[in-house]
Amino acid sequence: MSEYKKPDIDPDLVKFSEGNDYDSLAKYLCKVYRYRENIIIPRVLGPVVIKTNDEKMIEATVESCPFKSVTSCIIGYGLGAAVGLFTSSLMPNMTDPMAQQNQTAREILREMKNSMLSYAKNFALLGAVFSGVECCIESARGKSDWKNGTYAGGVTGGLIGLRGGLKAGLFGAAGFAAFSTVIDYYMHQR
Amino acid sequence: MAVPQLDPAKLQLVQELEIEMMSDMYNRLVSACHQKCIPVKYHEAELGKGESVCLDRCVAKYLDVHERIGKKLSNMSQGEAEDLTKINLQEKK
Repeated sequence: MSEYKKPDIDPDLVKFSEGNDYDSLAKYLCKVYRYRENIIIPRVLGPVVIKTNDEKMIEATVESCPFKSVTSCIIGYGLGAAVGLFTSSLMPNMTDPMAQQNQTAREILREMKNSMLSYAKNFALLGAVFSGVECCIESARGKSDWKNGTYAGGVTGGLIGLRGGLKAGLFGAAGFAAFSTVIDYYMHQR
Repeated sequence: MAVPQLDPAKLQLVQELEIEMMSDMYNRLVSACHQKCIPVKYHEAELGKGESVCLDRCVAKYLDVHERIGKKLSNMSQGEAEDLTKINLQEKK
């Protein structure tokens, strides 16, 4: 293989600076954003932004599957409490028709609280499972599309319905998958 | 692979070639992984979790393949060089 010869420099070329003297002065004159002195990453728009290790760590934590699952659990708890409050005010549980002392405000408030807690726990568990499963499926597939929500909904619905037998599990899976797909569609449509 | 080129001129040349090779590899890597991992229709501006995971895997595989093929190629060219020297020695005899 013949030796590589650099092409001749155009004699009409106006040289602004010979060598790299300005380059080596630059670090004293202005703030240089280079991660390493001699490696220049091509700029796209604006200054080169290289994330610091702290920022990368924080981002990795926030986008990780367990964190998302916990966040979803907490949000589900809040949402479940709201739904439980609403439902208990619409449909009070009047199971004992004989005693009048059950009509005190304290009793009704206690029933409201129990209903709220029950709904909140259910929603929290649902949210955590759904979010965790969706995150795992998305990580395993390596794609971000609508099918992740559907598959996660199917698994979650199946787990919920499996308590009532296999058929209930299948129906629950199908129903929850459809519900999840519809919700995702509306959320992404804006 | 011995490195006897210690002239400043040749060293400069080698460094420039290295930089050019690195930037070429970077461009190809970006283009290939973008084509593989990010679908054409954009729903949002941020990278989703699946896409980030796919990009991590793509870069790791690309660099792994690059390293292995580089080693294989250098072994092959080394084997060729040895064969050539053997043939030359035989011809001289």
